[in-house]
Amino acid sequence: MGKAEVKLAGMGEIVFARGAGVLGCIGLGSCVGTLLFDPRTQSAALAHVMLPELHEGDAGALPGKYATTALPALLQKLDTPPAFASRLKAILVGGGELFQNRSQTLRIGERNVETIQRLLRELRIGVVFEHTRGNFGRSFEFDVASGLIRVRAMGSTSAEKDLSAALGIVRRAA
Amino acid sequence: MTTTLNELRTDALREIGNIGLGGAVTALSDLTGVLFTLDTPRIHPMNAQSLPELCCANPETLVVGTVSRVNGDWPGEGAFLFPWESAQVLWHILVQMQPTGLDDLNELYQSVINEVSNIMLGNYLQAISQMTGFTLHMEPPAFAADMAMAVLSSILVEALYGQRELLAIETAFKTPEHEFKGHFLYLPETGNLEKLFAILGI
Repeated sequence: MGKAEVKLAGMGEIVFARGAGVLGCIGLGSCVGTLLFDPRTQSAALAHVMLPELHEGDAGALPGKYATTALPALLQKLDTPPAFASRLKAILVGGGELFQNRSQTLRIGERNVETIQRLLRELRIGVVFEHTRGNFGRSFEFDVASGLIRVRAMGSTSAEKDLSAALGIVRRAA
Repeated sequence: MTTTLNELRTDALREIGNIGLGGAVTALSDLTGVLFTLDTPRIHPMNAQSLPELCCANPETLVVGTVSRVNGDWPGEGAFLFPWESAQVLWHILVQMQPTGLDDLNELYQSVINEVSNIMLGNYLQAISQMTGFTLHMEPPAFAADMAMAVLSSILVEALYGQRELLAIETAFKTPEHEFKGHFLYLPETGNLEKLFAILGI
């Protein structure tokens, strides 16, 4: 992905790019990289979501930390009112359960994915790419200009996909 | 509620970490016949923005880790992280074999790391229990081998669940005899810290 600027979203953070640039997350375990793309503006916003629902008393948290606060914050970043959210496209990566055979488990990865999917359905946002669940961690990078996504996973299948058609990316002459 | 961590309380936590982990490292030395030494424990608040670069400079380095839920008077999560090369040292010492890679990481190798975690965390909790009179129970460790950042963040997020802030008691242990580094992390529920300080009279 060469010269394009790479913006990585750390835990709870949101990053944004318009027209060009690379957005990504490193070492997602139970966290979910939630990216929304707006074909109209060729913009993308990515949240590194850690937990499904806002914990009371954590009002000062980064909006990307919780699924329930991250999606409104992503819409705001993309300058899209919820009524027009259906024109957006979503990419989801992460939500794994790395620790197997826990006697007590909060299933945070699974619940993160479920909550984000439910919120996307409510907003009528279609998911064009998903690399979620399983028992392994992932890193990914998404090139906003080309629509190419690369997912790296350890001990499992890595993936690379051209999403330009699904995202309605306008190819410009170099 | 934000727990006030003044210097005295930080020192007390560090000392508890030292005593607890002293016992844990001695147990590891007894098990392996290799002398392990302990770094001074670090006590730091942790939140989403301040995930420390624990364990590995490269967040995608392969590590082996365990996490055990601790219940009782001072509940929390106890975790161990070993860079892959360090885990290889433990396997070599304890079972005279090593997995060649992730595909080869069978139950025997996992149980070796679980057992090391069990013994070390058990001794850590026992030392704290003797000092404070706390009743502490640990659950069997859960095992993972993956990217350092993915393993660490999964541990932190689970410990953070239902809490606004997170406190970490963290240290590394080493041995001059091998290229080895292990990392220990205790993530107590911060609401219960006051109980600990009350017992210690600070």
